[in-house]
Amino acid sequence: MSIEVRNLVKKFEDKTVINDISFKVDDGEVLAIVGFSGSGKSTVLKLICGLIPYDSGEVITSEGDIAMVFQYSALFDSLNVFDNISFALRERKDLRKKYSKSDLQEIVAQKLELVGLKGIENKFPSELSGGMQKRVSFARAIVTKPNSILYDEPTAGLDPMSSTLIEDYIVRLRNETNAASIVVTHQMSTITRTADRVIMLYDGKIVFEGTPTELLKQDNPYTKQFVTASLEGPMKMQA
Amino acid sequence: MDEALVKYLKQSATYKISSQILRVLSNFISMLGKIVHLSFRMLKCMFQGGVTRKELIYQCDRFGVSSLPITLSIVGMTSIIVASQVALEMVKQGGGNFVGMLMTILIVREVGAIMSGFAITSMIGSSLASELATMRVTEQIDAIDVLGVDSIGYLFVPRVLSGIIMMPIIVIIASIFGVLLGALTAKMFAGLTYIAYFDSAWLGLFMKDLWVSLLKSSVFGGTIALISCSCGFYASGGAKGVGIATTNAVVWSFISIVVWDMIFAIIFFF
Repeated sequence: MSIEVRNLVKKFEDKTVINDISFKVDDGEVLAIVGFSGSGKSTVLKLICGLIPYDSGEVITSEGDIAMVFQYSALFDSLNVFDNISFALRERKDLRKKYSKSDLQEIVAQKLELVGLKGIENKFPSELSGGMQKRVSFARAIVTKPNSILYDEPTAGLDPMSSTLIEDYIVRLRNETNAASIVVTHQMSTITRTADRVIMLYDGKIVFEGTPTELLKQDNPYTKQFVTASLEGPMKMQA
Repeated sequence: MDEALVKYLKQSATYKISSQILRVLSNFISMLGKIVHLSFRMLKCMFQGGVTRKELIYQCDRFGVSSLPITLSIVGMTSIIVASQVALEMVKQGGGNFVGMLMTILIVREVGAIMSGFAITSMIGSSLASELATMRVTEQIDAIDVLGVDSIGYLFVPRVLSGIIMMPIIVIIASIFGVLLGALTAKMFAGLTYIAYFDSAWLGLFMKDLWVSLLKSSVFGGTIALISCSCGFYASGGAKGVGIATTNAVVWSFISIVVWDMIFAIIFFF
Protein backbone atom coordinates (compact mmCIF):
# COMPACT_ATOMS: atom_id res chain seq x y z
CA MET A 1 0.00 0.00 0.00
CA SER A 2 1.37 3.39 -0.88
CA ILE A 3 -1.57 5.76 -0.43
CA GLU A 4 -4.56 5.06 1.78
CA VAL A 5 -7.34 7.52 2.46
CA ARG A 6 -9.73 6.74 5.32
CA ASN A 7 -12.99 8.54 6.01
CA LEU A 8 -11.69 11.85 4.73
CA VAL A 9 -13.86 14.92 5.35
CA LYS A 10 -13.17 18.48 4.22
CA LYS A 11 -15.44 21.46 4.69
CA PHE A 12 -15.03 24.97 3.34
CA GLU A 13 -17.01 27.13 5.75
CA ASP A 14 -20.41 25.38 5.84
CA LYS A 15 -20.06 23.43 2.60
CA THR A 16 -18.81 19.85 2.83
CA VAL A 17 -16.72 19.32 -0.31
CA ILE A 18 -15.29 15.92 0.63
CA ASN A 19 -17.69 13.78 2.57
CA ASP A 20 -16.29 10.66 4.21
CA ILE A 21 -14.39 9.06 1.34
CA SER A 22 -11.99 6.10 1.59
CA PHE A 23 -9.79 4.41 -1.01
CA LYS A 24 -6.37 2.79 -1.48
CA VAL A 25 -3.75 2.95 -4.20
CA ASP A 26 -1.03 0.31 -4.35
CA ASP A 27 2.54 0.71 -5.58
CA GLY A 28 2.66 0.67 -9.35
CA GLU A 29 -1.08 1.25 -9.63
CA VAL A 30 -2.77 4.17 -11.39
CA LEU A 31 -6.08 5.30 -9.91
CA ALA A 32 -8.18 7.77 -11.86
CA ILE A 33 -10.47 10.09 -9.91
CA VAL A 34 -13.21 11.31 -12.21
CA GLY A 35 -16.24 13.49 -11.91
CA PHE A 36 -17.72 16.72 -13.15
CA SER A 37 -16.10 20.07 -12.42
CA GLY A 38 -16.56 21.09 -8.80
CA SER A 39 -17.00 17.52 -7.54
CA GLY A 40 -13.94 17.81 -5.26
CA LYS A 41 -11.39 15.88 -7.35
CA SER A 42 -8.54 18.39 -7.11
CA THR A 43 -9.32 18.97 -3.42
CA VAL A 44 -8.64 15.27 -2.76
CA LEU A 45 -5.16 15.62 -4.27
CA LYS A 46 -4.42 18.76 -2.23
CA LEU A 47 -5.55 16.96 0.93
CA ILE A 48 -3.32 13.97 0.17
CA CYS A 49 -0.19 16.04 -0.41
CA GLY A 50 -0.90 18.29 2.57
CA LEU A 51 -1.49 21.56 0.72
CA ILE A 52 -4.75 22.00 2.60
CA PRO A 53 -5.63 20.44 5.96
CA TYR A 54 -8.54 18.02 6.29
CA ASP A 55 -11.18 18.25 8.98
CA SER A 56 -11.31 14.55 9.87
CA GLY A 57 -10.17 11.18 8.61
CA GLU A 58 -6.70 9.92 7.75
CA VAL A 59 -4.24 9.99 4.87
CA ILE A 60 -1.65 7.25 5.19
CA THR A 61 1.28 7.17 2.79
CA SER A 62 4.32 4.96 2.82
CA GLU A 63 7.61 6.71 3.60
CA GLY A 64 9.07 8.87 0.86
CA ASP A 65 8.08 11.82 -1.22
CA ILE A 66 4.75 12.63 -2.79
CA ALA A 67 5.03 14.48 -6.08
CA MET A 68 2.32 16.46 -7.80
CA VAL A 69 1.89 17.53 -11.41
CA PHE A 70 -0.31 20.62 -11.45
CA GLN A 71 -3.12 21.35 -13.88
CA TYR A 72 -1.31 24.31 -15.46
CA SER A 73 2.18 22.88 -14.85
CA ALA A 74 3.04 25.52 -12.18
CA LEU A 75 6.59 25.83 -13.47
CA PHE A 76 8.58 28.66 -11.88
CA ASP A 77 8.48 31.20 -14.68
CA SER A 78 11.52 33.15 -13.45
CA LEU A 79 13.70 30.02 -13.57
CA ASN A 80 14.89 28.10 -16.63
CA VAL A 81 14.14 24.42 -17.20
CA PHE A 82 17.36 23.28 -15.48
CA ASP A 83 16.62 25.33 -12.36
CA ASN A 84 12.99 24.20 -12.36
CA ILE A 85 13.84 20.51 -12.48
CA SER A 86 16.75 20.72 -10.03
CA PHE A 87 14.81 23.04 -7.67
CA ALA A 88 14.10 20.50 -4.94
CA LEU A 89 17.64 19.12 -5.07
CA ARG A 90 19.11 22.62 -4.71
CA GLU A 91 16.72 24.11 -2.17
CA ARG A 92 15.61 21.28 0.11
CA LYS A 93 17.57 21.30 3.35
CA ASP A 94 18.04 17.53 3.35
CA LEU A 95 19.25 17.43 -0.26
CA ARG A 96 20.99 20.80 -0.68
CA LYS A 97 24.55 19.64 -0.09
CA LYS A 98 24.13 16.15 -1.51
CA TYR A 99 24.58 16.97 -5.17
CA SER A 100 27.37 18.78 -7.00
CA LYS A 101 26.71 20.97 -10.02
CA SER A 102 27.77 18.15 -12.38
CA ASP A 103 25.49 15.68 -10.52
CA LEU A 104 22.58 18.07 -11.00
CA GLN A 105 23.35 18.47 -14.69
CA GLU A 106 23.42 14.70 -15.11
CA ILE A 107 20.17 14.15 -13.19
CA VAL A 108 18.33 16.91 -15.07
CA ALA A 109 19.55 15.56 -18.42
CA GLN A 110 18.33 12.06 -17.43
CA LYS A 111 14.89 13.30 -16.41
CA LEU A 112 14.53 15.41 -19.55
CA GLU A 113 15.46 12.41 -21.67
CA LEU A 114 12.83 10.36 -19.86
CA VAL A 115 10.14 12.85 -20.89
CA GLY A 116 11.52 13.20 -24.42
CA LEU A 117 12.84 16.74 -24.11
CA LYS A 118 16.61 16.40 -24.30
CA GLY A 119 18.70 19.58 -24.44
CA ILE A 120 16.19 22.24 -23.37
CA GLU A 121 17.84 23.00 -20.01
CA ASN A 122 18.41 26.69 -20.78
CA LYS A 123 14.93 27.48 -22.06
CA PHE A 124 12.41 29.34 -19.92
CA PRO A 125 8.82 28.05 -19.42
CA SER A 126 7.45 30.89 -21.57
CA GLU A 127 9.45 29.53 -24.52
CA LEU A 128 7.78 26.10 -24.31
CA SER A 129 4.43 24.83 -25.60
CA GLY A 130 1.73 23.70 -23.14
CA GLY A 131 2.56 20.03 -23.73
CA MET A 132 6.29 20.63 -23.24
CA GLN A 133 5.63 22.56 -20.03
CA LYS A 134 3.58 19.66 -18.76
CA ARG A 135 6.41 17.22 -19.54
CA VAL A 136 8.94 19.47 -17.79
CA SER A 137 6.64 19.47 -14.76
CA PHE A 138 6.66 15.63 -14.94
CA ALA A 139 10.46 15.72 -14.89
CA ARG A 140 10.44 18.15 -11.95
CA ALA A 141 7.98 15.94 -10.06
CA ILE A 142 10.05 12.75 -10.35
CA VAL A 143 13.44 14.29 -9.61
CA THR A 144 13.24 13.31 -5.92
CA LYS A 145 12.23 9.72 -6.78
CA PRO A 146 8.77 9.94 -5.19
CA ASN A 147 6.77 6.94 -3.99
CA SER A 148 3.52 8.55 -5.07
CA ILE A 149 2.69 10.84 -7.99
CA LEU A 150 -0.49 12.90 -8.15
CA TYR A 151 -1.62 14.32 -11.50
CA ASP A 152 -4.16 17.14 -11.48
CA GLU A 153 -5.93 17.11 -14.87
CA PRO A 154 -2.70 16.39 -16.76
CA THR A 155 -4.28 16.60 -20.21
CA ALA A 156 -6.51 19.63 -19.64
CA GLY A 157 -6.16 22.23 -22.38
CA LEU A 158 -3.93 20.08 -24.60
CA ASP A 159 -4.59 19.03 -28.19
CA PRO A 160 -5.47 15.32 -28.73
CA MET A 161 -1.96 14.33 -29.85
CA SER A 162 -0.28 16.08 -26.92
CA SER A 163 -2.84 14.43 -24.61
CA THR A 164 -1.92 11.01 -25.99
CA LEU A 165 1.76 11.77 -25.46
CA ILE A 166 1.13 12.87 -21.86
CA GLU A 167 -0.96 9.75 -21.21
CA ASP A 168 1.90 7.60 -22.53
CA TYR A 169 4.30 9.37 -20.17
CA ILE A 170 2.02 8.75 -17.18
CA VAL A 171 2.16 5.03 -17.95
CA ARG A 172 5.89 5.18 -18.64
CA LEU A 173 6.61 6.98 -15.35
CA ARG A 174 4.52 4.42 -13.50
CA ASN A 175 6.56 1.64 -15.09
CA GLU A 176 9.90 3.38 -14.44
CA THR A 177 9.25 4.47 -10.85
CA ASN A 178 6.68 1.90 -9.64
CA ALA A 179 5.02 4.81 -7.87
CA ALA A 180 1.41 4.79 -6.74
CA SER A 181 -0.29 7.29 -9.03
CA ILE A 182 -3.55 9.19 -8.83
CA VAL A 183 -4.79 10.93 -11.96
CA VAL A 184 -7.58 13.46 -11.59
CA THR A 185 -9.28 13.86 -14.93
CA HIS A 186 -12.57 14.07 -16.76
CA GLN A 187 -11.18 13.02 -20.12
CA MET A 188 -12.25 9.55 -21.21
CA SER A 189 -9.02 8.93 -23.18
CA THR A 190 -6.90 9.63 -20.09
CA ILE A 191 -9.03 7.24 -18.03
CA THR A 192 -8.95 4.38 -20.51
CA ARG A 193 -5.29 4.76 -21.49
CA THR A 194 -3.73 5.27 -18.05
CA ALA A 195 -5.90 3.98 -15.22
CA ASP A 196 -6.04 0.55 -13.58
CA ARG A 197 -8.97 1.58 -11.42
CA VAL A 198 -11.42 4.46 -11.38
CA ILE A 199 -13.42 6.17 -8.67
CA MET A 200 -16.09 8.72 -9.45
CA LEU A 201 -16.87 11.61 -7.13
CA TYR A 202 -20.11 13.50 -6.94
CA ASP A 203 -21.07 15.96 -4.25
CA GLY A 204 -17.98 15.00 -2.24
CA LYS A 205 -18.83 11.27 -2.15
CA ILE A 206 -17.62 8.24 -4.10
CA VAL A 207 -20.51 7.13 -6.33
CA PHE A 208 -18.61 4.53 -8.37
CA GLU A 209 -15.49 2.41 -7.94
CA GLY A 210 -14.26 -0.07 -10.53
CA THR A 211 -12.12 -0.61 -13.59
CA PRO A 212 -12.22 1.61 -16.71
CA THR A 213 -14.07 -1.22 -18.50
CA GLU A 214 -16.72 -1.30 -15.77
CA LEU A 215 -17.02 2.50 -16.06
CA LEU A 216 -17.69 2.20 -19.77
CA LYS A 217 -20.39 -0.46 -19.20
CA GLN A 218 -22.59 2.28 -17.73
CA ASP A 219 -24.29 -0.09 -15.25
CA ASN A 220 -24.52 2.70 -12.72
CA PRO A 221 -26.71 5.81 -13.33
CA TYR A 222 -23.77 8.03 -12.42
CA THR A 223 -21.32 6.35 -14.81
CA LYS A 224 -23.99 6.31 -17.51
CA GLN A 225 -24.51 10.05 -17.19
CA PHE A 226 -20.74 10.71 -17.06
CA VAL A 227 -19.85 8.55 -20.06
CA THR A 228 -22.70 9.83 -22.21
CA ALA A 229 -22.10 13.41 -20.97
CA SER A 230 -25.84 13.72 -20.46
CA LEU A 231 -27.52 16.55 -18.58
CA GLU A 232 -30.24 14.09 -17.52
CA GLY A 233 -29.37 11.90 -14.54
CA PRO A 234 -28.64 11.92 -10.83
CA MET A 235 -25.81 14.47 -11.11
CA LYS A 236 -27.02 18.04 -11.30
CA MET A 237 -24.79 20.68 -12.79
CA GLN A 238 -24.81 24.12 -11.24
CA ALA A 239 -26.19 26.68 -13.68
CA MET B 1 -37.13 44.21 14.34
CA ASP B 2 -39.45 44.90 11.46
CA GLU B 3 -37.98 43.57 8.18
CA ALA B 4 -38.93 46.67 6.25
CA LEU B 5 -37.19 48.84 8.84
CA VAL B 6 -34.03 46.69 8.65
CA LYS B 7 -34.07 47.00 4.86
CA TYR B 8 -34.56 50.75 5.12
CA LEU B 9 -31.73 51.11 7.65
CA LYS B 10 -29.40 49.05 5.45
CA GLN B 11 -29.85 51.55 2.68
CA SER B 12 -28.80 54.48 4.86
CA ALA B 13 -25.43 56.16 4.35
CA THR B 14 -24.57 55.65 8.05
CA TYR B 15 -25.00 51.88 7.71
CA LYS B 16 -23.01 51.73 4.49
CA ILE B 17 -20.14 53.82 5.85
CA SER B 18 -19.97 52.00 9.19
CA SER B 19 -20.14 48.57 7.55
CA GLN B 20 -17.36 49.61 5.17
CA ILE B 21 -15.22 50.78 8.12
CA LEU B 22 -15.91 47.52 9.96
CA ARG B 23 -14.94 45.51 6.89
CA VAL B 24 -11.66 47.43 6.52
CA LEU B 25 -10.95 46.97 10.25
CA SER B 26 -11.77 43.28 10.10
CA ASN B 27 -9.49 42.82 7.05
CA PHE B 28 -6.75 44.75 8.82
CA ILE B 29 -6.95 42.62 11.97
CA SER B 30 -7.08 39.42 9.94
CA MET B 31 -4.06 40.49 7.85
CA LEU B 32 -2.18 41.57 10.96
CA GLY B 33 -2.72 38.12 12.48
CA LYS B 34 -1.46 36.46 9.29
CA ILE B 35 1.60 38.70 9.18
CA VAL B 36 2.47 37.92 12.81
CA HIS B 37 2.06 34.19 12.11
CA LEU B 38 4.25 34.44 9.00
CA SER B 39 6.87 36.44 10.93
CA PHE B 40 7.26 33.63 13.46
CA ARG B 41 7.50 31.02 10.72
CA MET B 42 10.04 33.19 8.93
CA LEU B 43 12.15 33.64 12.05
CA LYS B 44 12.13 29.88 12.55
CA CYS B 45 13.34 29.36 8.97
CA MET B 46 15.95 32.08 9.39
CA PHE B 47 17.47 30.44 12.45
CA GLN B 48 17.40 27.05 10.78
CA GLY B 49 19.54 28.43 7.96
CA GLY B 50 16.76 28.49 5.40
CA VAL B 51 18.33 31.05 3.08
CA THR B 52 20.80 30.58 0.25
CA ARG B 53 23.48 33.21 -0.30
CA LYS B 54 22.76 33.44 -4.03
CA GLU B 55 19.09 34.28 -3.50
CA LEU B 56 19.92 36.80 -0.74
CA ILE B 57 22.41 38.61 -2.99
CA TYR B 58 19.88 38.65 -5.83
CA GLN B 59 17.19 40.14 -3.58
CA CYS B 60 19.63 42.70 -2.10
CA ASP B 61 20.51 43.80 -5.62
CA ARG B 62 16.83 44.08 -6.49
CA PHE B 63 15.92 45.92 -3.27
CA GLY B 64 18.87 48.27 -3.14
CA VAL B 65 20.51 48.80 -6.50
CA SER B 66 17.49 48.78 -8.82
CA SER B 67 15.46 51.08 -6.57
CA LEU B 68 18.24 53.62 -5.99
CA PRO B 69 17.52 55.96 -8.95
CA ILE B 70 13.87 56.48 -7.99
CA THR B 71 14.72 56.82 -4.29
CA LEU B 72 17.40 59.41 -5.01
CA SER B 73 15.01 61.30 -7.30
CA ILE B 74 12.26 61.47 -4.68
CA VAL B 75 14.52 62.36 -1.72
CA GLY B 76 16.49 64.79 -3.91
CA MET B 77 13.40 66.58 -5.20
CA THR B 78 11.91 66.81 -1.71
CA SER B 79 15.16 68.38 -0.48
CA ILE B 80 15.13 70.90 -3.34
CA ILE B 81 11.49 71.82 -2.59
CA VAL B 82 12.15 72.26 1.15
CA ALA B 83 15.42 74.16 0.68
CA SER B 84 13.92 76.47 -1.94
CA GLN B 85 11.02 77.31 0.40
CA VAL B 86 13.10 77.72 3.55
CA ALA B 87 16.52 79.09 2.58
CA LEU B 88 15.46 82.50 1.21
CA GLU B 89 13.10 83.18 4.14
CA MET B 90 15.72 82.23 6.72
CA VAL B 91 18.38 84.37 5.05
CA LYS B 92 15.91 87.29 5.00
CA GLN B 93 15.22 86.83 8.72
CA GLY B 94 18.93 86.62 9.54
CA GLY B 95 18.94 82.91 10.13
CA GLY B 96 20.97 81.98 7.05
CA ASN B 97 23.61 80.34 9.21
CA PHE B 98 21.08 77.73 10.34
CA VAL B 99 19.78 76.60 6.94
CA GLY B 100 22.31 73.75 6.76
CA MET B 101 21.42 72.60 10.27
CA LEU B 102 17.69 72.66 9.56
CA MET B 103 18.04 70.78 6.29
CA THR B 104 20.37 68.16 7.76
CA ILE B 105 18.18 67.47 10.78
CA LEU B 106 15.10 67.30 8.60
CA ILE B 107 16.66 64.95 6.06
CA VAL B 108 18.50 62.69 8.50
CA ARG B 109 15.66 62.42 10.99
CA GLU B 110 12.65 62.28 8.67
CA VAL B 111 12.81 62.98 4.95
CA GLY B 112 15.55 60.48 4.09
CA ALA B 113 13.87 57.51 5.74
CA ILE B 114 10.22 58.39 5.06
CA MET B 115 10.62 59.36 1.40
CA SER B 116 12.90 56.38 0.75
CA GLY B 117 10.26 54.19 2.41
CA PHE B 118 7.56 55.55 0.13
CA ALA B 119 9.77 55.15 -2.95
CA ILE B 120 10.72 51.59 -2.00
CA THR B 121 7.09 50.71 -1.26
CA SER B 122 5.88 51.94 -4.61
CA MET B 123 8.67 50.27 -6.53
CA ILE B 124 9.81 47.17 -4.63
CA GLY B 125 6.82 46.53 -2.34
CA SER B 126 4.36 46.47 -5.21
CA SER B 127 6.71 44.28 -7.22
CA LEU B 128 7.14 41.78 -4.34
CA ALA B 129 3.39 41.60 -3.73
CA SER B 130 2.48 41.09 -7.39
CA GLU B 131 5.27 38.54 -7.84
CA LEU B 132 4.15 36.39 -4.91
CA ALA B 133 0.46 36.86 -5.74
CA THR B 134 1.07 35.66 -9.29
CA MET B 135 3.00 32.70 -7.93
CA ARG B 136 0.08 31.95 -5.60
CA VAL B 137 -2.66 32.09 -8.23
CA THR B 138 -0.61 30.04 -10.72
CA GLU B 139 0.04 27.38 -8.02
CA GLN B 140 3.81 28.00 -8.05
CA ILE B 141 3.82 28.42 -4.25
CA ASP B 142 1.91 25.14 -3.91
CA ALA B 143 4.54 23.55 -6.16
CA ILE B 144 7.34 24.80 -3.86
CA ASP B 145 5.60 23.21 -0.85
CA VAL B 146 4.90 19.93 -2.64
CA LEU B 147 8.56 19.70 -3.66
CA GLY B 148 9.40 19.69 0.05
CA VAL B 149 10.86 23.22 0.17
CA ASP B 150 9.50 25.57 2.84
CA SER B 151 7.85 28.34 0.83
CA ILE B 152 8.19 30.81 3.72
CA GLY B 153 11.90 30.13 4.00
CA TYR B 154 12.44 30.27 0.25
CA LEU B 155 10.30 33.33 -0.52
CA PHE B 156 10.16 35.42 2.64
CA VAL B 157 13.54 35.10 4.32
CA PRO B 158 15.76 36.48 1.51
CA ARG B 159 13.27 39.24 0.66
CA VAL B 160 12.73 40.45 4.22
CA LEU B 161 16.44 40.15 5.07
CA SER B 162 17.34 42.15 1.97
CA GLY B 163 14.90 44.86 3.12
CA ILE B 164 16.47 44.97 6.59
CA ILE B 165 20.02 45.07 5.19
CA MET B 166 19.61 47.34 2.16
CA MET B 167 17.20 49.98 3.42
CA PRO B 168 19.73 51.69 5.79
CA ILE B 169 22.28 51.78 2.95
CA ILE B 170 19.72 53.36 0.63
CA VAL B 171 18.74 55.88 3.31
CA ILE B 172 22.40 56.85 3.96
CA ILE B 173 23.01 57.46 0.25
CA ALA B 174 19.68 59.27 -0.21
CA SER B 175 20.27 61.45 2.87
CA ILE B 176 23.76 62.49 1.72
CA PHE B 177 22.30 63.24 -1.71
CA GLY B 178 19.49 65.25 -0.14
CA VAL B 179 21.85 67.32 2.06
CA LEU B 180 24.09 68.08 -0.95
CA LEU B 181 21.13 69.11 -3.11
CA GLY B 182 19.93 71.25 -0.19
CA ALA B 183 23.29 73.09 -0.24
CA LEU B 184 23.10 73.58 -3.99
CA THR B 185 19.50 74.86 -3.78
CA ALA B 186 20.31 77.22 -0.86
CA LYS B 187 23.16 78.69 -2.91
CA MET B 188 21.01 79.08 -6.03
CA PHE B 189 17.89 80.48 -4.33
CA ALA B 190 19.34 82.43 -1.38
CA GLY B 191 22.98 82.94 -2.32
CA LEU B 192 24.07 81.01 0.76
CA THR B 193 27.70 79.89 0.58
CA TYR B 194 28.58 76.20 0.84
CA ILE B 195 30.84 76.99 3.82
CA ALA B 196 27.96 78.65 5.72
CA TYR B 197 25.65 75.73 4.89
CA PHE B 198 28.03 72.94 5.87
CA ASP B 199 29.36 74.77 8.95
CA SER B 200 25.88 74.72 10.45
CA ALA B 201 24.97 71.32 9.04
CA TRP B 202 26.84 69.55 11.84
CA LEU B 203 25.55 71.78 14.64
CA GLY B 204 22.22 70.13 15.31
CA LEU B 205 23.18 66.62 14.33
CA PHE B 206 24.08 64.04 16.96
CA MET B 207 25.08 60.37 16.78
CA LYS B 208 21.66 59.52 18.16
CA ASP B 209 20.04 61.03 15.04
CA LEU B 210 22.18 58.83 12.82
CA TRP B 211 21.62 55.52 14.56
CA VAL B 212 17.91 56.17 15.09
CA SER B 213 17.65 56.90 11.36
CA LEU B 214 19.49 53.69 10.50
CA LEU B 215 17.43 51.59 12.91
CA LYS B 216 14.23 53.17 11.62
CA SER B 217 15.15 52.51 8.01
CA SER B 218 15.96 48.88 8.81
CA VAL B 219 12.53 48.51 10.41
CA PHE B 220 10.90 50.24 7.42
CA GLY B 221 12.71 47.93 4.97
CA GLY B 222 11.76 44.78 6.87
CA THR B 223 8.16 45.95 7.28
CA ILE B 224 7.71 46.84 3.60
CA ALA B 225 9.10 43.48 2.50
CA LEU B 226 7.12 41.51 5.11
CA ILE B 227 3.79 43.23 4.39
CA SER B 228 4.26 43.04 0.62
CA CYS B 229 5.23 39.36 0.69
CA SER B 230 2.34 38.54 3.05
CA CYS B 231 -0.24 40.32 0.87
CA GLY B 232 1.05 38.42 -2.17
CA PHE B 233 1.28 35.12 -0.30
CA TYR B 234 -2.38 35.23 0.72
CA ALA B 235 -3.69 36.38 -2.67
CA SER B 236 -6.53 34.47 -4.28
CA GLY B 237 -8.81 34.71 -7.27
CA GLY B 238 -6.74 35.22 -10.41
CA ALA B 239 -5.79 38.54 -11.98
CA LYS B 240 -8.17 40.50 -9.77
CA GLY B 241 -6.61 38.89 -6.69
CA VAL B 242 -3.13 39.95 -7.85
CA GLY B 243 -4.38 43.54 -8.20
CA ILE B 244 -6.01 43.53 -4.78
CA ALA B 245 -2.88 42.07 -3.15
CA THR B 246 -0.67 44.71 -4.75
CA THR B 247 -2.97 47.55 -3.69
CA ASN B 248 -3.19 46.19 -0.14
CA ALA B 249 0.59 45.85 0.03
CA VAL B 250 1.14 49.48 -0.99
CA VAL B 251 -1.61 50.86 1.27
CA TRP B 252 -0.60 48.86 4.36
CA SER B 253 3.09 49.58 3.79
CA PHE B 254 2.45 53.34 3.55
CA ILE B 255 0.35 53.26 6.70
CA SER B 256 2.84 51.13 8.61
CA ILE B 257 5.74 53.43 7.64
CA VAL B 258 3.92 56.41 9.11
CA VAL B 259 2.91 54.46 12.21
CA TRP B 260 6.49 53.23 12.76
CA ASP B 261 7.78 56.77 12.24
CA MET B 262 5.40 58.04 14.88
CA ILE B 263 6.48 55.30 17.30
CA PHE B 264 10.16 56.15 16.73
CA ALA B 265 9.48 59.87 17.21
CA ILE B 266 7.66 59.20 20.48
CA ILE B 267 10.30 56.79 21.81
CA PHE B 268 13.46 58.68 20.82
CA PHE B 269 12.61 62.37 20.51
CA PHE B 270 9.93 63.13 23.09
